[in-house]
Amino acid sequence: MFQTERRIITNNPYTDSFDFDEIRDFISKASKNLFISHKFKNSNKILVQPRGGFPTYEKVFKLYEEFTKAGVDILPLTIDSNTRLNDYEMAKKMLILSEESDENMLNGYPLITHGYRTTREMVTHFDTPISLRHGTPDARLLIEIALASGIFEIEGGPITYLLPYSKNFPLDKAFLYWKYVERVCADYSKLNEPINRESFGPLTATLQPPAIVIVIQLLEMLLSLEEGVKSFSVSFSQTGSMLQDIVSSNVIKKLARKYANMFGYSDAKIHLVYHQWMGAFPRDKEFSDSLINTSTVIASLVRADKIITKTRDEAFGIPTPEVNARAVSNTQYTLNILKGLPNISDEEEEENLTEMVDDIMEAVFNDPADTLWRQVFNSIKNGIIDIPFSPHIINSGEAITVRDKNYNIRFYKRGNIPISDRCLDYEKSKIDLGGMSLVENIIHDIGIML
Amino acid sequence: MRVVTGVVGNDIHVVANRLIEISLKERGFEVFNLGVNTYLEEFIDAVIETDANVLLISSLNGEAEGWSRDLLFLKSRFDLDGVLFVIGGNLSVGEAKEEEIIPKYKAYGYDLVFHQVDLNVGLDIIEDTLKGKR
Repeated sequence: MFQTERRIITNNPYTDSFDFDEIRDFISKASKNLFISHKFKNSNKILVQPRGGFPTYEKVFKLYEEFTKAGVDILPLTIDSNTRLNDYEMAKKMLILSEESDENMLNGYPLITHGYRTTREMVTHFDTPISLRHGTPDARLLIEIALASGIFEIEGGPITYLLPYSKNFPLDKAFLYWKYVERVCADYSKLNEPINRESFGPLTATLQPPAIVIVIQLLEMLLSLEEGVKSFSVSFSQTGSMLQDIVSSNVIKKLARKYANMFGYSDAKIHLVYHQWMGAFPRDKEFSDSLINTSTVIASLVRADKIITKTRDEAFGIPTPEVNARAVSNTQYTLNILKGLPNISDEEEEENLTEMVDDIMEAVFNDPADTLWRQVFNSIKNGIIDIPFSPHIINSGEAITVRDKNYNIRFYKRGNIPISDRCLDYEKSKIDLGGMSLVENIIHDIGIML
Repeated sequence: MRVVTGVVGNDIHVVANRLIEISLKERGFEVFNLGVNTYLEEFIDAVIETDANVLLISSLNGEAEGWSRDLLFLKSRFDLDGVLFVIGGNLSVGEAKEEEIIPKYKAYGYDLVFHQVDLNVGLDIIEDTLKGKR
């Protein structure tokens, strides 16, 4: 049945004709160096990964050369927005224009248009793990081609690639399309080293409460492990408070293991990814360098397995390969000089965050639906899971967060999120609106790094 | 008082939209937020459905003008006399003078037009207008 579905999905006029036997053979014999799961196992440093992608093969090749010179650990492949929305006709037109004119008419690499046979040549040439970055609710064809190309890390998930990116793509469909992705990743994981799946913790990157970020990370992890994935990365982005980053990381590590074991996936490997600041960047490039540096220090303190970098040009648009590579070497430099950092924890904060996460998880599991994805679907519909600043119509948007005086993100209003009165009181006790209106506080809190 | 709000056209700037919703609720309005990427017809449908007192359309990417051309036509098709039509945000692509923008949008059928006006100032004016002070 599933193989029939895969044949239908991959039989698409906009890409290569698929040869499944050849692809299985390629993955079975692929170099271990292409697997991030293998690199995680055999590395004792934080792996550094930038973001980036261009329309043409030549420009991506040049970008990878710059990254390699800068000492990159993991290469990115960012996909263009037309491909993300399954508009392969437009991607094809824009690729042709980009190839003819040297202008970049796409904001990423149209992987489906290039196809797996071409892309694989580049992937095997660099012999470095590549991470697929996209934002696609229906990524079925895209990930078939990525995996066939030798791209063995797939970012995203039904919640984290939908709530921040779409107004009305049906969430139930997203769950089913991502179920397909998980199953293909699980299937190929049996052939060589495991395929790694990574969730996208930054969400809307605007005052996201750690409790909700962690709940969504745990649920996407469980949905993936449920289908047989053996290597998974949970992630979150810099909150703006060093303490909150440390507390979040301690709690997410502890709870990811706890819930994975509870559901019978104790053999699955779980990693932590830290995103350098994902909110609005200053326009002063030296300030940006300073912010990026602070992010790197925090990634070290929280003992992340991978850090995803930003550049000093963030406020101005897509960086040049040189500027992007410079951010990689700077981050590597900072990581190298940070040795033997202290273990920091805050018992009271960790207890509060753990309790909130456990309460929300319990409410999700108490939903009467018969499968986990339906329970999660209902919980989002009911506002049990609710993220601030989502454009999606299904997200309830009742919960409101603000920063306390130390820039920790706190619940001001819980909406329908089932956190206890005790936890809400604790959160609210930290808030001081300082005589300004709520909205003035929120505007200030969004722009703390400007 | 009931307000229908949202961002018009192919515009997904969600942050300001949420701030408008929160501010309106703080001021005691009953808010029906249609969110980003909303078409004019959807706004009018929602005003009729909710029997709203105010329609507050916002725009950030500056493309609102193209989406406003049918407003008078739609207003003429339905009895919307008691409804206050408001548009605000960044109402032009590139630089533009307030004294040019405001008459233009009023001619499209808006009662109040706010181009790059502070949110709370705009909401004060809406409240005063509803109370008949202006």
